Amino acid sequence: MSEKFAAYAHPDALVSTDWLDKNLDTPGLRIVESNEDLLLYDTGHIPGAVHIDWRRDLNDQLVRDYIGPEAFAAMCSRYGITPETTVVFYGDKSNWWSCYAMWVFHLFGHTNCRILDGGRAKWVAEARPLTRAIPEPAPVTYPVPPRRLDEEIRAFYADTLTHMKAGLPLVDVRSPGEFSGEVTHMPEYPQEGVLRGGHIPGAKSMPWAKAANPDGTFKSAEELRDLYAGTLGLKQDDNIVAYCRIGERSSHTWFVLKYLLGYQNVRNYDGSWTEWGNMVRSPIERS
Amino acid sequence: MYPPPLQDLIDLFAGLPETERREMLINMADTAPLYAPAEGETFDLEDIRKDEECTDTVGVFLTAAADGTISYKISLGPQVQTLTRAMTSILCQGLNGSTAASILEVPADFVTKIVGTELVRVRSQTVYYVLTRMKSAAKVHLNRLRSATDS
Repeated sequence: MSEKFAAYAHPDALVSTDWLDKNLDTPGLRIVESNEDLLLYDTGHIPGAVHIDWRRDLNDQLVRDYIGPEAFAAMCSRYGITPETTVVFYGDKSNWWSCYAMWVFHLFGHTNCRILDGGRAKWVAEARPLTRAIPEPAPVTYPVPPRRLDEEIRAFYADTLTHMKAGLPLVDVRSPGEFSGEVTHMPEYPQEGVLRGGHIPGAKSMPWAKAANPDGTFKSAEELRDLYAGTLGLKQDDNIVAYCRIGERSSHTWFVLKYLLGYQNVRNYDGSWTEWGNMVRSPIERS
Repeated sequence: MYPPPLQDLIDLFAGLPETERREMLINMADTAPLYAPAEGETFDLEDIRKDEECTDTVGVFLTAAADGTISYKISLGPQVQTLTRAMTSILCQGLNGSTAASILEVPADFVTKIVGTELVRVRSQTVYYVLTRMKSAAKVHLNRLRSATDS
């Protein structure tokens, strides 16, 4: 294990590109690519990787919510994933969507998950193998999980409102302009239906990107501690809620806090600013 | 309603099952470099910029022919998404050789007919972005022509 990984609270939550390259055919391993660029997987992917489309595969199509246990079991069965399978996630955007997919897997109790440090960009930059061949995993049966564990790692609007009123730590991971209310969209993205700019009262700003290096890898444990324990003053036993716009960037921060720094009680508010900023009578702050 | 080459592409995509539609879009994305300006090539109008709503710089290069038609070359930064690169090829194929006035009248509703509703999402609105930029260049070109005529 590398010195960098060993310094994290849960080193086994990450795999390196080198390790994955040597373990492409390891039984019991399923590689999952999840991207923002919806056609990127089709242009070439890590051999054996299946594609999870966050909206098609993870979101309920009629309710703003995640899929239920039955759909999760069906998806895993389709992709050759059993409860014993180690799932390695990777993707574009410094692993936003792979962290999001991993977070959804955790909602169903599938915690045997890893993130590829550096994601797709690092794999491609190192000229490692890509293929357009779509794998056809042998059919398996994933038992339907008894329930979705929303209360453990997910915060809803009401939870977040209570959290805010109690003065508990809220981490806004959006860009500084979004946090201040200067803009209602993140840089380089269209407006996604947000009516007001600003942030949840009392939230502290720590843009997700500060946790990533330019090559998409996670910053070192020491650098991350400086950000979250140092700058934000978060303590290990704090009850923390992270949010962004729709919950994908905050999934990245959720992963960093929970698995790289070992914070015990971290929830992702997936309703995030597209819910909070638009909710009638919802208080906001601008700065 | 649509320039004939664009209509042909719409008809081609309309009949494709989803898997083949994706494959065709990727092929289109792969051919986007064919529509990039060549080194030293000159144009009647150049508009290179990085806008907030797109992930990277997009350059629109317009050439006007004596018969009143125009043609485009498009440069795309490396971070531009696959679907936007595909749409660039489609639009260059579909609009090159049309008049600026007819390009301005092209409605954007063909995009979902080509891309399919599954791939058009709030975050992939850049599929409309390149068309907007091409129309913008066509409008500037027309305005220049009108100014020249008035003077």
